[in-house]
Amino acid sequence: MRKWLVSCFLCCWLWIFLICSLAMQVLICRNEAEKCLIETSINSLRISLKVKQADELENILAKKFLRFLSMRAEAFQVLRRKPVQGYDISFLITNYHCEELQKRKLIDFIVQFMEDIDKEISELKMSVSTRGRLVATEFLKQF
Amino acid sequence: MAEAKKSVGSDNAEDILTKIENKSLKIESLIKQYKFIEAIKTALEGYPPLDERCKSANWIGVHKALMAIKDVEGMLRSLDPQYYDILMKYVYRGLSTGNRTTCDQCLKIHEKLTEKAGFGCILRSLADTVNTV
Repeated sequence: MRKWLVSCFLCCWLWIFLICSLAMQVLICRNEAEKCLIETSINSLRISLKVKQADELENILAKKFLRFLSMRAEAFQVLRRKPVQGYDISFLITNYHCEELQKRKLIDFIVQFMEDIDKEISELKMSVSTRGRLVATEFLKQF
Repeated sequence: MAEAKKSVGSDNAEDILTKIENKSLKIESLIKQYKFIEAIKTALEGYPPLDERCKSANWIGVHKALMAIKDVEGMLRSLDPQYYDILMKYVYRGLSTGNRTTCDQCLKIHEKLTEKAGFGCILRSLADTVNTV
Protein backbone atom coordinates (compact mmCIF):
# COMPACT_ATOMS: atom_id res chain seq x y z
CA MET A 1 0.00 0.00 0.00
CA ARG A 2 2.81 2.37 0.98
CA LYS A 3 4.75 1.53 -2.22
CA TRP A 4 1.61 2.23 -4.25
CA LEU A 5 1.14 5.63 -2.60
CA VAL A 6 4.80 6.56 -3.19
CA SER A 7 4.59 5.50 -6.85
CA CYS A 8 1.36 7.55 -7.30
CA PHE A 9 3.04 10.55 -5.72
CA LEU A 10 6.09 10.19 -8.00
CA CYS A 11 3.83 9.81 -11.07
CA CYS A 12 2.01 13.04 -10.17
CA TRP A 13 5.28 14.93 -9.82
CA LEU A 14 6.59 13.53 -13.13
CA TRP A 15 3.33 14.50 -14.84
CA ILE A 16 3.50 18.06 -13.47
CA PHE A 17 7.16 18.30 -14.55
CA LEU A 18 6.23 17.05 -18.04
CA ILE A 19 3.38 19.57 -18.34
CA CYS A 20 5.66 22.41 -17.22
CA SER A 21 8.36 21.39 -19.70
CA LEU A 22 5.82 21.13 -22.55
CA ALA A 23 4.14 24.46 -21.77
CA MET A 24 6.35 27.16 -23.19
CA GLN A 25 6.00 30.52 -24.87
CA VAL A 26 7.85 32.28 -27.64
CA LEU A 27 7.72 36.04 -28.16
CA ILE A 28 8.63 37.36 -31.60
CA CYS A 29 8.74 41.14 -32.05
CA ARG A 30 9.06 43.01 -35.29
CA ASN A 31 9.53 46.29 -33.46
CA GLU A 32 8.25 47.96 -30.28
CA ALA A 33 4.66 48.12 -31.58
CA GLU A 34 4.20 44.81 -33.43
CA LYS A 35 4.66 41.45 -31.75
CA CYS A 36 3.43 37.90 -31.75
CA LEU A 37 3.18 35.61 -28.70
CA ILE A 38 2.91 31.86 -29.21
CA GLU A 39 1.99 29.82 -26.15
CA THR A 40 1.97 26.03 -26.28
CA SER A 41 0.37 23.44 -24.09
CA ILE A 42 -0.28 19.70 -24.37
CA ASN A 43 -3.20 19.80 -26.76
CA SER A 44 -3.43 23.37 -27.98
CA LEU A 45 -1.64 26.47 -29.17
CA ARG A 46 -2.51 30.11 -28.55
CA ILE A 47 -1.23 32.74 -30.99
CA SER A 48 -1.70 36.38 -29.95
CA LEU A 49 -0.97 39.30 -32.24
CA LYS A 50 -0.41 42.99 -31.60
CA VAL A 51 -0.87 44.95 -34.84
CA LYS A 52 0.78 48.19 -35.88
CA GLN A 53 -1.10 51.29 -34.71
CA ALA A 54 0.75 54.41 -35.80
CA ASP A 55 -1.78 57.04 -34.65
CA GLU A 56 -5.04 57.49 -32.74
CA LEU A 57 -7.20 56.89 -35.83
CA GLU A 58 -5.45 53.57 -36.60
CA ASN A 59 -5.79 52.66 -32.93
CA ILE A 60 -9.58 53.14 -33.03
CA LEU A 61 -9.98 51.45 -36.43
CA ALA A 62 -7.88 48.44 -35.39
CA LYS A 63 -9.80 48.08 -32.14
CA LYS A 64 -13.21 48.26 -33.86
CA PHE A 65 -12.25 46.02 -36.76
CA LEU A 66 -10.66 43.30 -34.59
CA ARG A 67 -13.54 43.45 -32.09
CA PHE A 68 -15.91 42.93 -35.05
CA LEU A 69 -13.96 39.81 -36.05
CA SER A 70 -13.65 38.48 -32.49
CA MET A 71 -17.44 38.76 -31.96
CA ARG A 72 -17.89 36.39 -34.92
CA ALA A 73 -15.29 33.93 -33.60
CA GLU A 74 -17.55 30.86 -34.20
CA ALA A 75 -17.42 31.46 -37.93
CA PHE A 76 -13.61 31.39 -37.89
CA GLN A 77 -13.43 28.38 -35.50
CA VAL A 78 -9.79 29.06 -34.55
CA LEU A 79 -10.34 32.63 -33.38
CA ARG A 80 -10.67 33.50 -29.70
CA ARG A 81 -13.51 35.77 -28.53
CA LYS A 82 -11.28 37.73 -26.18
CA PRO A 83 -7.68 38.58 -27.00
CA VAL A 84 -4.95 37.94 -24.46
CA GLN A 85 -4.10 40.91 -22.19
CA GLY A 86 -1.75 43.27 -24.01
CA TYR A 87 -2.58 41.99 -27.51
CA ASP A 88 -5.18 42.83 -30.16
CA ILE A 89 -6.32 39.41 -31.36
CA SER A 90 -5.79 35.79 -30.33
CA PHE A 91 -6.15 32.45 -32.07
CA LEU A 92 -6.69 29.20 -30.21
CA ILE A 93 -5.83 26.07 -32.16
CA THR A 94 -6.69 22.80 -30.43
CA ASN A 95 -5.95 19.18 -31.32
CA TYR A 96 -9.54 18.89 -32.62
CA HIS A 97 -8.86 21.64 -35.15
CA CYS A 98 -5.69 19.85 -36.25
CA GLU A 99 -7.68 16.65 -36.79
CA GLU A 100 -10.59 18.28 -38.65
CA LEU A 101 -8.69 20.87 -40.63
CA GLN A 102 -5.52 20.62 -42.71
CA LYS A 103 -2.48 21.94 -40.78
CA ARG A 104 -0.89 23.51 -43.83
CA LYS A 105 -4.10 25.39 -44.69
CA LEU A 106 -4.38 26.52 -41.07
CA ILE A 107 -0.89 27.98 -41.16
CA ASP A 108 -1.62 29.62 -44.54
CA PHE A 109 -4.80 31.11 -43.08
CA ILE A 110 -3.02 32.68 -40.14
CA VAL A 111 -0.17 34.05 -42.28
CA GLN A 112 -2.70 35.44 -44.80
CA PHE A 113 -4.67 36.96 -41.92
CA MET A 114 -1.57 38.76 -40.63
CA GLU A 115 -0.74 40.05 -44.12
CA ASP A 116 -4.31 41.24 -44.79
CA ILE A 117 -4.87 42.96 -41.44
CA ASP A 118 -2.41 45.78 -42.13
CA LYS A 119 -3.83 46.24 -45.62
CA GLU A 120 -7.42 46.34 -44.32
CA ILE A 121 -6.66 48.90 -41.63
CA SER A 122 -4.79 51.13 -44.13
CA GLU A 123 -7.78 50.95 -46.53
CA LEU A 124 -10.20 51.79 -43.70
CA LYS A 125 -8.04 54.75 -42.68
CA MET A 126 -7.94 56.02 -46.27
CA SER A 127 -11.72 55.73 -46.68
CA VAL A 128 -12.32 57.54 -43.34
CA SER A 129 -9.95 60.37 -44.41
CA THR A 130 -11.62 60.62 -47.85
CA ARG A 131 -15.12 60.74 -46.35
CA GLY A 132 -13.99 63.29 -43.76
CA ARG A 133 -12.50 65.50 -46.49
CA LEU A 134 -15.70 65.30 -48.60
CA VAL A 135 -17.91 66.15 -45.62
CA ALA A 136 -15.67 69.07 -44.59
CA THR A 137 -15.58 70.42 -48.19
CA GLU A 138 -19.38 70.26 -48.50
CA PHE A 139 -19.88 71.85 -45.09
CA LEU A 140 -17.45 74.70 -45.71
CA LYS A 141 -19.00 75.51 -49.13
CA GLN A 142 -21.77 77.41 -47.41
CA PHE A 143 -19.30 79.88 -45.86
CA MET B 1 26.87 21.76 4.58
CA ALA B 2 24.19 23.53 2.56
CA GLU B 3 25.88 26.91 3.25
CA ALA B 4 29.25 25.53 2.05
CA LYS B 5 27.56 24.25 -1.13
CA LYS B 6 25.86 27.65 -1.66
CA SER B 7 29.17 29.54 -1.32
CA VAL B 8 30.82 27.16 -3.80
CA GLY B 9 27.87 27.73 -6.20
CA SER B 10 28.16 31.54 -5.92
CA ASP B 11 31.96 31.31 -6.42
CA ASN B 12 31.31 29.37 -9.61
CA ALA B 13 28.85 32.02 -10.77
CA GLU B 14 31.43 34.74 -10.01
CA ASP B 15 34.08 32.79 -11.96
CA ILE B 16 31.69 32.36 -14.86
CA LEU B 17 30.80 36.07 -14.78
CA THR B 18 34.51 36.97 -14.90
CA LYS B 19 35.05 34.61 -17.85
CA ILE B 20 32.03 36.12 -19.63
CA GLU B 21 33.34 39.66 -19.05
CA ASN B 22 36.75 38.67 -20.49
CA LYS B 23 34.98 37.08 -23.44
CA SER B 24 32.97 40.29 -23.93
CA LEU B 25 36.16 42.38 -24.02
CA LYS B 26 37.68 39.94 -26.55
CA ILE B 27 34.53 40.21 -28.72
CA GLU B 28 34.70 44.02 -28.61
CA SER B 29 38.35 44.04 -29.66
CA LEU B 30 37.61 41.62 -32.54
CA ILE B 31 34.74 43.86 -33.71
CA LYS B 32 37.04 46.91 -33.67
CA GLN B 33 39.48 44.94 -35.85
CA TYR B 34 36.60 44.20 -38.30
CA LYS B 35 36.94 40.46 -37.59
CA PHE B 36 33.18 39.91 -37.29
CA ILE B 37 33.24 36.18 -38.00
CA GLU B 38 35.82 35.50 -35.27
CA ALA B 39 33.77 37.69 -32.94
CA ILE B 40 30.60 35.66 -33.48
CA LYS B 41 32.52 32.38 -33.10
CA THR B 42 33.97 33.59 -29.78
CA ALA B 43 30.53 34.72 -28.66
CA LEU B 44 28.89 31.36 -29.40
CA GLU B 45 31.62 29.27 -27.82
CA GLY B 46 31.20 27.96 -24.34
CA TYR B 47 28.19 26.22 -22.90
CA PRO B 48 25.25 28.56 -22.15
CA PRO B 49 25.45 29.26 -18.40
CA LEU B 50 22.70 28.14 -16.02
CA ASP B 51 22.57 31.25 -13.83
CA GLU B 52 20.26 34.10 -14.95
CA ARG B 53 22.88 36.79 -14.30
CA CYS B 54 25.46 34.86 -16.35
CA LYS B 55 22.91 34.40 -19.15
CA SER B 56 22.22 38.16 -19.24
CA ALA B 57 25.94 38.97 -19.22
CA ASN B 58 26.55 36.41 -21.98
CA TRP B 59 23.68 37.83 -24.04
CA ILE B 60 25.23 41.31 -24.00
CA GLY B 61 28.41 40.01 -25.65
CA VAL B 62 26.52 37.89 -28.19
CA HIS B 63 24.22 40.84 -28.98
CA LYS B 64 27.22 43.08 -29.78
CA ALA B 65 28.65 40.42 -32.12
CA LEU B 66 25.26 39.85 -33.83
CA MET B 67 24.66 43.58 -34.42
CA ALA B 68 28.15 44.01 -35.91
CA ILE B 69 27.55 41.45 -38.67
CA LYS B 70 26.99 43.00 -42.11
CA ASP B 71 27.42 39.94 -44.37
CA VAL B 72 25.10 37.31 -42.89
CA GLU B 73 25.57 34.74 -45.67
CA GLY B 74 29.34 34.94 -45.44
CA MET B 75 29.17 34.53 -41.68
CA LEU B 76 26.97 31.43 -41.96
CA ARG B 77 29.22 29.91 -44.63
CA SER B 78 32.24 30.09 -42.36
CA LEU B 79 30.39 29.03 -39.17
CA ASP B 80 30.52 25.37 -38.05
CA PRO B 81 27.14 23.57 -38.30
CA GLN B 82 27.38 22.66 -34.60
CA TYR B 83 26.81 26.34 -33.72
CA TYR B 84 23.59 26.69 -35.77
CA ASP B 85 21.27 25.59 -32.95
CA ILE B 86 22.93 27.90 -30.41
CA LEU B 87 22.82 30.79 -32.88
CA MET B 88 19.09 30.15 -33.47
CA LYS B 89 18.48 30.29 -29.69
CA TYR B 90 20.21 33.65 -29.51
CA VAL B 91 18.27 34.88 -32.55
CA TYR B 92 14.98 34.05 -30.78
CA ARG B 93 16.22 35.80 -27.66
CA GLY B 94 16.99 38.83 -29.81
CA LEU B 95 13.51 38.68 -31.39
CA SER B 96 11.88 38.74 -27.96
CA THR B 97 13.63 41.98 -26.94
CA GLY B 98 11.37 44.23 -29.05
CA ASN B 99 14.13 46.65 -29.98
CA ARG B 100 13.68 47.65 -33.65
CA THR B 101 17.32 47.39 -34.81
CA THR B 102 17.92 44.14 -32.92
CA CYS B 103 14.72 42.60 -34.34
CA ASP B 104 15.58 43.69 -37.91
CA GLN B 105 19.02 42.13 -37.69
CA CYS B 106 17.70 38.98 -36.01
CA LEU B 107 14.99 38.56 -38.66
CA LYS B 108 17.66 38.79 -41.42
CA ILE B 109 19.82 36.19 -39.66
CA HIS B 110 16.77 33.99 -38.97
CA GLU B 111 15.83 33.94 -42.67
CA LYS B 112 19.32 32.99 -43.87
CA LEU B 113 19.89 30.50 -41.04
CA THR B 114 16.57 28.73 -41.75
CA GLU B 115 17.53 28.45 -45.44
CA LYS B 116 20.86 26.91 -44.45
CA ALA B 117 19.95 24.78 -41.44
CA GLY B 118 16.28 23.96 -42.12
CA PHE B 119 13.21 23.84 -39.88
CA GLY B 120 14.79 21.22 -37.61
CA CYS B 121 17.12 23.89 -36.28
CA ILE B 122 14.13 26.04 -35.22
CA LEU B 123 12.40 23.09 -33.56
CA ARG B 124 15.54 21.99 -31.70
CA SER B 125 16.25 25.48 -30.42
CA LEU B 126 12.66 26.06 -29.25
CA ALA B 127 12.11 22.59 -27.79
CA ASP B 128 15.28 22.67 -25.67
CA THR B 129 13.89 24.06 -22.42
CA VAL B 130 16.85 22.85 -20.32
CA ASN B 131 19.76 24.67 -22.00
CA THR B 132 18.15 28.05 -22.56
CA VAL B 133 20.07 31.22 -23.35
